[in-house]
Amino acid sequence: MPPTETKPAKKTGVKVPHTMTERLLILLSRYREASIAVVAIVLVIYFQFGSDGGFLSPQFMSVVLRDTGRLGLIAAAEVMLMITGEIDLSLSAIFSIAPYVMALLSVTYGLPLAVGALIGVLIGILVGAINGIITVRFKVPSLITTVGMLFFLQGIVVSIYNSQPIVAPVEQPFNAIFGQSLYQPSDALLSWHGITAFTPFLWAVVLVLVLALVLARTTFGLHTIATGSNIIGAREIGVRTDRMKIYNFMIAGGFAAFAGIINTAQFTSADPQAGSPFLTLQAIAAAVIGGTSLLGGSGTVIGALIGAFVVASLNNGLVMIGAQATVSDIYLGAAIIAAMILSIQVDRLRTRRRV
Amino acid sequence: MNSQAIPPLAPDAPTVLEMSNISKSFGAVTALVDVSIKLRQGEVLALVGDNGAGKSTLIKILSGFHQPDTGTIVSQGKEVRFASPRDARAQGIETVYQDLALIGDLSVFHNMFLGREYHKRFLGLNLLDNRKMREQAQLYLDTLGITIPSVNSTVDLLSGGQRQCIAVARSIYSSPKILVLDEPLAALGVRESAHVLGLIQNLRQQRQVSVILIVHNYNQIFEVCDRINFLHSGEVALDASTADTSEEELIRIVKSGLGSRAIDAAAAEVRPGLV
Repeated sequence: MPPTETKPAKKTGVKVPHTMTERLLILLSRYREASIAVVAIVLVIYFQFGSDGGFLSPQFMSVVLRDTGRLGLIAAAEVMLMITGEIDLSLSAIFSIAPYVMALLSVTYGLPLAVGALIGVLIGILVGAINGIITVRFKVPSLITTVGMLFFLQGIVVSIYNSQPIVAPVEQPFNAIFGQSLYQPSDALLSWHGITAFTPFLWAVVLVLVLALVLARTTFGLHTIATGSNIIGAREIGVRTDRMKIYNFMIAGGFAAFAGIINTAQFTSADPQAGSPFLTLQAIAAAVIGGTSLLGGSGTVIGALIGAFVVASLNNGLVMIGAQATVSDIYLGAAIIAAMILSIQVDRLRTRRRV
Repeated sequence: MNSQAIPPLAPDAPTVLEMSNISKSFGAVTALVDVSIKLRQGEVLALVGDNGAGKSTLIKILSGFHQPDTGTIVSQGKEVRFASPRDARAQGIETVYQDLALIGDLSVFHNMFLGREYHKRFLGLNLLDNRKMREQAQLYLDTLGITIPSVNSTVDLLSGGQRQCIAVARSIYSSPKILVLDEPLAALGVRESAHVLGLIQNLRQQRQVSVILIVHNYNQIFEVCDRINFLHSGEVALDASTADTSEEELIRIVKSGLGSRAIDAAAAEVRPGLV
C-alpha cells in the first residue's frame, strides 16, 4: 500500500493537569539561564543594599568579576564534560601547573611569556587527553582518573621548585591583554584602563560564548550531547563517543590552563598552590547552580558563567556586608543541593508532561 | 493478506549481500557459529529465532557495531570490513536497532540527521544548517505520513510508537541499498504496524531495496517477506522461501527446535530436500 494512504492517529500524549508549582517548574525548564539570572540579580540587589552601594562600585565589581571569570572558564569547561557524562577533578592542578611552567620557562630560559603561555595551554590539553584516554580506553570512571591526576600533578608542581611561588616577569602587551589591571579609581570606566579591570571576565565571556556556539550550532556540539544522552544509541548510529569524550577532556584541560595563566598575568606571580581542589569544586557548584545536571545529555555553559557569578558574589558579598568569610560556604552548600533538586524535578516533570 | 500478495522476486536478481561463516563470541559466551546468510536485490529476508539465538548479534555485525571473530562480508560484490557503524552507513547499509538508537535530549530533526548533518558556511565556520534539517525532516515525515507534534520537540517527549516511526524514517531517508530492521514493529499498534510494513513493501518494489527483518509475529513475516532464516543456538537452522512454507509449518519447526538436528529432521519431514 502507498504510504500516504494510512496516517497513524496523531498522538497528543498524556495531559497532566498543572498546579501552580508545576507551571513554575515548566517555565524554569524552558528558560534555565534566565531563571539563574534572576537569582543573580536578586543577589546583587541584596548585597547592594546591604553594603550601602559598595557592591556595585567598579573596584568591588572588578574583584567579583575577576573571580567570576576564573571560575566561569573552569565551570563552562566542566559543563562540556558533564554533558558527555564525565567529570574532571584535576582542573585545579592544571590551573596551577600551566602558569607555573610559563613563569619557570620565562625566569630560567628567558622565554617570552606568550610562548610559555602557549606551552602551558598545550600542557593542559595534553593532561586532558591523558585523562580522557585513561577514562575511555581503560574504562576507569573519570571521577577516579582525575582524582589520581589531581594528586599526581599537584605533586609534580610543588616538587619542581620546593613549593616556592615564582615572581613572573611583566611583559607588555602580554600582561595587559591577559589580565593585569591598570585601573585606578581616577580612570573612567569606559577607558582602556577601565576595561582592564575586567579582563579575566571579558575573556571568560568570549570563550564561554564560543563554547555556547559550539554546543548549539556545530556537529561537535550535537555529538557531545548525543554521547552523554544515550551512549549506546549514539555509537549505534555512528557517533564516535570515545573521541567526543577525549576531545571534551582536552577542552577542559585547555580552559583550566588558560584560566590559570590569566590568574598569573593578573597577579604577576605563579603560585604552585594557586588552584586548590576547592576551586574545581566551586566550578562544579557554579555549573550545577547554572542548571547543568550530572546526568549527562544536557547543560548550559552560559548558565555556568552566571552560576560562577553567583558563587563569586556569595564569596565576596557576604564578607562585604560584614558576615564571617566562612558563612558563604553554608549558603553555597545549600544552593548546590537546592539547585540539583530543582534541576531533577524540572527534568522529571518535563518528560512526564510529554508536550 | 497472504503470501500471494508478494510479487515474486525477479529470478535474475543479483546477490547484494553475502555474510559467510560468521562466528562471534563474547568472552565465554558463543553468540554465532559459522552463520552464512545471503540477500538478493529487492528481497525481504526474515530472521526468526528465540531470544538469544544470535539474531541481534548478526545484524550488529552487519551494521558495524560488532566485529566478527571470523567470517567475511561481501557487499555489492566486494569484500567489506566495518570498523564502525559509520562504515556500514557509508556503504548504504542502514539499521534500525531494537533500542532505536535515538537521542532523547535531541530534537526529532537532529536525530533524523545525526551523523550526516547538513552544514552551512558562516564567517568561514562550518555550522549546522538547522533550518534546512528542520524543513527536510518535516517534509520527509509528511511524505511518509508520519505525524508527530513537532520536529522541534525532543525525542524523549514522544510516545514509543512515534519514536519507532522516527527511527524507521531516519533509516530510509538516505535511500539505503540494504535496510536492517530489528523488531521494527515492537511498540506499534495495528495501524502503525500496517503503515511500517507498507513502507517496507514500497521500498522493495519502487527502489529495489533489500531488507533484513527481525520479527516475532509470524503473520507479519508472511505478509512482507520472501524468505525466512531460522536461527537457533547461533546457527542457521532453516532457510526457506515463504512461498513454499506455510505459517503452520514454520511454527511447527520453530516449536520443535531444541537442537539444530531436531530442526533439520523436522524441516526434512515437512519439505524434503529443503535443508
